[in-house]
Amino acid sequence: MSLEQVTKADQPVTGDEAMLVRVQREDFSIDEELRRVRARSKRIGGIAIFLGTARDRSKGKDVDGITFEHYEGMAQKKLREIRERALKDFGVIELLILHRYGEIAIGDNIVLIIAGAEHRAEAFQACKWAIDELKQITPIWKLEHTTEGEVWVEEHP
Amino acid sequence: MVTVRLFGMTKMLAGNQGTLSLALHDGKRVKDLVAVIDAAYPKIGELLQKKKVLVSVNQDIAHEDLEVHDGDEIALLPPFAGGNQ
Repeated sequence: MSLEQVTKADQPVTGDEAMLVRVQREDFSIDEELRRVRARSKRIGGIAIFLGTARDRSKGKDVDGITFEHYEGMAQKKLREIRERALKDFGVIELLILHRYGEIAIGDNIVLIIAGAEHRAEAFQACKWAIDELKQITPIWKLEHTTEGEVWVEEHP
Repeated sequence: MVTVRLFGMTKMLAGNQGTLSLALHDGKRVKDLVAVIDAAYPKIGELLQKKKVLVSVNQDIAHEDLEVHDGDEIALLPPFAGGNQ
């Protein structure tokens, strides 16, 4: 990889920015994360939030729990890339992305995206783009525990 | 020898091993690695051939002609949880 190809997403992040992109086992507080985004700028006038939670049914089967596995390092790198592209291409002031791993009970939080912008249009657009992009490029895998056994989602290509 | 990290369904298909240590005798490109995996773990090999499972080198998706080196961080990436919408 040449020096030119090294993007900011490859660099270790410290301090406040590290808290804005996280992959963690423990649950999160939406209020606390919202405060974190609001504290980034007084210019923010519109905030869009996406919260993904664990549902009890998938592809016609009852699900009684989910386990998420992630590729430590690459998952964080991809989420940093998404944040940077949202800031650059969608005109948002701040974008926070959190994803949990490990065992998640039905109804519990899985993923949180908060987009803060001057106006609602950019916030909505960036929030929708970020969750769609997360699902496409982030190395995180979902194991559903169903009444008929455990199934890696997308297991049967 | 190169070490290959496994996740999700590829880990399961390799008997729940988290990593594979593989010797590359006939070439050092990603496609040579895929051939070695195909010989040892045909079910994973089939998914690699169909591009359902991707190879990453140093945390980037790798082309089949990319050369791998000792110390590279190599992983097999099954379809991500989000799938294709």
